[in-house]
Amino acid sequence: MIKKADIVIIGGGIQGCSIAYNLAKKGAKNIVILEKNTCASGSSGRCGAGIRQQFGTKMNCILARESMKIFETLSEELDYDIELNQAGYLILAYTEKEINQFKKNVVLEQSLGIEAKMVTPEEAKEIVPPLNLEGIIGGTFCPTDGNVNPLYTTFGYAEAAQRLGVKYYPFTEVTEIETEDKRILSVITNKGKILTPIVVNAAGGYSGPVGKMAGVDIPVYSQRHQILITEPIDPLWKPMLMSFSENYYFQQLPDGGVLGGYGDPEHEIIGDNVGSSWQFSRTMAKKMVKLVPILKEVHMVRQWAGLYNMSPDAQPILGEHPQLKGFYMSVGFSGHGFMLAPVTGRLIAELILDGKTSIPIDKLDIGRFKRGELICEPSVV
Amino acid sequence: MRETDIAIIGGGPAGLSAAIYAASLGAKITLIDDGLELGGQLIKQTHKFFGSEAQFAGIRGIEIAKKLIQEIERCKNIELITNATVTGYYEDEVITIIQGADGNIMKKLKAQRIIVATGASENMLPFINNDLPGVYGAGAVQTLMNLYGVVPGNNVLMVGAGNIGLIVSYQLLQAGIKVEAIVEALPKIGGYLVHASKIRRLGVPIYTSHSLKEVYGTDWVEKAVISKVNKNFEFIPETEKELEVDTICLAVGLSPLSDLLWQAGCQMKYIVELGGYVALRDDHMKSSLDNIYIAGDVAGIEEASSAMLEGKIAGLNAAVSLGYRVDNFLELNINLRKELKELRANPLSEKVKIGLEKALIKREVD
Repeated sequence: MIKKADIVIIGGGIQGCSIAYNLAKKGAKNIVILEKNTCASGSSGRCGAGIRQQFGTKMNCILARESMKIFETLSEELDYDIELNQAGYLILAYTEKEINQFKKNVVLEQSLGIEAKMVTPEEAKEIVPPLNLEGIIGGTFCPTDGNVNPLYTTFGYAEAAQRLGVKYYPFTEVTEIETEDKRILSVITNKGKILTPIVVNAAGGYSGPVGKMAGVDIPVYSQRHQILITEPIDPLWKPMLMSFSENYYFQQLPDGGVLGGYGDPEHEIIGDNVGSSWQFSRTMAKKMVKLVPILKEVHMVRQWAGLYNMSPDAQPILGEHPQLKGFYMSVGFSGHGFMLAPVTGRLIAELILDGKTSIPIDKLDIGRFKRGELICEPSVV
Repeated sequence: MRETDIAIIGGGPAGLSAAIYAASLGAKITLIDDGLELGGQLIKQTHKFFGSEAQFAGIRGIEIAKKLIQEIERCKNIELITNATVTGYYEDEVITIIQGADGNIMKKLKAQRIIVATGASENMLPFINNDLPGVYGAGAVQTLMNLYGVVPGNNVLMVGAGNIGLIVSYQLLQAGIKVEAIVEALPKIGGYLVHASKIRRLGVPIYTSHSLKEVYGTDWVEKAVISKVNKNFEFIPETEKELEVDTICLAVGLSPLSDLLWQAGCQMKYIVELGGYVALRDDHMKSSLDNIYIAGDVAGIEEASSAMLEGKIAGLNAAVSLGYRVDNFLELNINLRKELKELRANPLSEKVKIGLEKALIKREVD
């Protein structure tokens, strides 16, 4: 293993790989990714891999829109087919309050060039014919939202980064981060020590403990989220179905399997447990069958879990730590890390190399919690 | 939620033996099997068994199944859940069970001990057109013929000359089906020579160092191409031979069905001599987890005779670990292990014995 680097990225998932690729693309040298397991073995490879642009704040809409723009040409850029499938997101509303929020969202989204629109229950059924409309009073649809293969996307970034000279070390676990005079000095791993002035914490579900190694308290925690997938069946519908109030997201993937999950912040385990529960599969199956009754006939074949890295306002924490020079964070994505990684990877690279970003992300700094300037995003599962 | 002392997953020779033994000590047993009837692979095994009298030597598999099932039915403390698939073992130690063809109901079961006796699945072979109708696993051919009385085809190519390949070839011949040839990629026949000789006498050639390269056909198998292989199992050019067959029967080994053990978090190891990934176990057939025992092919590919003995050991020890008493426990354990050792005291078990040694968790105090 090398002894010295210009930039050490901790975490070889989608964040770390996107940041490394964008750094190298901008001409940075001596970049190292340290991954304690294998590429995409953490939450990147476990996520639902839906990508949407329908959000309730201007900043999130812009970030998501820019991320989608990158996804649209990413297969060519990385020379790796990431299986982009722009089948849309149909977000369903069950209450008047939700409809009112959605109306505001759509006005905002349209003003930013995102193709979302309001739909009536009848229009929703046209888009997704097997839908059971019970309780649904409307929704929004954005046809350019979609999904990708999360493993291929992460592998694509990792390989493209390596072609540009980035060194990727799997099975390399960081055990200590040495600092001096509020500066980064080195990173110690189970395979040796690397001297470096810059560390990027892109450790996803493990970013809190990585912060502690550097003596920095990052207000994040990890919580398990589960997903199940059914056996492949004939094509029934295409878009992602999602509801914030009824709490679900699920979609038939291009290969025929129906994949879905829901958030359960009250019951789900906090920490790094990625085991599975039967309660999840039972509840998820009920949600799916209620909305698309024909799925009653379909078998579930697999379930798994990954970690949401939660921040106090469910928004990412991006940027350099104010008390530790050279310690950059790309953490706390609270379930949206995969879909945002193309754009945040680019912005973190800009921040490290140029000291400024082409899209403002200063509101996402770690200082916002002390200042009490939390971001209120109404549209999250 | 249902509760039980010991859940036994799999109603083949290992699971049935485990259930009978543990029930005889008084434990409450729940036996779960995915078949319409109990017995596992025994119910299609029309051949007579080897071994000693205690292991049903000279009796056909189907008869052994009947005997075991009769005993099970006599035990009042065994609850049967058949036609049911165990779909998971979860962190709260709950087993989920989906029962019935439509699988609409998920049952949940909590057991103090679990004996996993799920058996094995047949290996597939990669060759061109291996998804054509007419390509069967040997187990499927046995089920069709011996259970349902249906012949799979008219001209068969058997792939694999281990015991299963040889026995099923003989059964095909008995059913009046032409076995064109047996190919075996290894340089020598893996099964008992007594079986091989019988088949050769009936005019079936056994080609060692040969494998199946591809099959042809429009709607089903019409032709197979076999070829010589070198010691690295690579096809040797220009040694191809065409055979007019409508059925390919694959008897190329089994892999332990160990998914549940993975999910439970048992310590697993890839042991080639045992057929793949198996759970490490002590000589009581207990895995690295105190509440999970294993028995039969899931613990390493062997035969029904050894599966039954492993089942007895697992059943005995699981029940005793729950406080159920038997007077001569130590002696019983020793005798069962001795029986197993004798059963494996033949040259064909050498490989298995090497594998079992690798899978053994040695306990400090016995």
